[in-house]
Amino acid sequence: MHNFEKQWQTVAGHARQAPGRDEIAPFGFARRAVAAGWQPPALAPEVLWVRLMLRVLAGAVGVLIVCAALELPHLRDARPLEPGLENTVAQIVWAL
Amino acid sequence: MVTDEFDWRACLEQVRQRDEDAAAVLVERLYPLVIRIVRSHLPRRVAEEDLAQDVFVKMFARLDQYQERAGTPFEHWVARLAVRTCLDALKAADRRPELRWGDLSEEQAAWLDFMLADQSATPNSSAASAREVIEQLLSQLPPDDRLVISLIDLEEKTVREVSEMTGWSGTLVKVRAFRARRKLRKLAQALSSQDRYAQL
Repeated sequence: MHNFEKQWQTVAGHARQAPGRDEIAPFGFARRAVAAGWQPPALAPEVLWVRLMLRVLAGAVGVLIVCAALELPHLRDARPLEPGLENTVAQIVWAL
Repeated sequence: MVTDEFDWRACLEQVRQRDEDAAAVLVERLYPLVIRIVRSHLPRRVAEEDLAQDVFVKMFARLDQYQERAGTPFEHWVARLAVRTCLDALKAADRRPELRWGDLSEEQAAWLDFMLADQSATPNSSAASAREVIEQLLSQLPPDDRLVISLIDLEEKTVREVSEMTGWSGTLVKVRAFRARRKLRKLAQALSSQDRYAQL
């Protein structure tokens, strides 16, 4: 092992003397790196799906609240089940 | 080469204020340091320019984490970031290509023979071929071993410097270097025996 270590260090010494390659940034590299470094991080598909689902959920909740608000005056009517879905939908459409 | 005359503090201040020109100057200033590290620890099938760009992207993303302290110049912080990025890329590359005797040129084979022989006269082969054979052997090592040998034996970093760059303790660095050289010896022996079998 000692002998290999000695020989290895000799070869490494020669390797260090090998001529170095060009160390100047290629044309446009700096601007590309800055643009890549400063661009907002790309969103993962899961995050996009979660955001979309949350918006859909918020929309659905909104529609439910509007339906409930329209149904509220009829809560104590003699025919509470009478208005039904068709009327609620018609009322929403009318309100729009 | 990165010199001390450059006003790092002023440049960093401008970069933090999103000055694009200052950021480009910073990249150009650090490029030689980063590309040297990247070339020493580049996985196969990864373009050195892509990996260098990854280092700079991380640098910009984490710039706020850098705090100027005595003894921690900005270049050291970037060097550490570059080493970590390369190590991650090497680990991601996972599979190491198999090295065969036939892959070596005559000059490279002469250096390999020299490593295993008990001779003091170095072969009449170029320094570039010595570098190539070392890089070929290092490509066979696990990423951590490759890193420690590149830094200590090729870049002549001290154990303390390697410890600062990698976050490993000094003892761990020494132990890794010792084990890595032992693996290199086994690799060289295995390659050399391949040669003998081929000649039978």
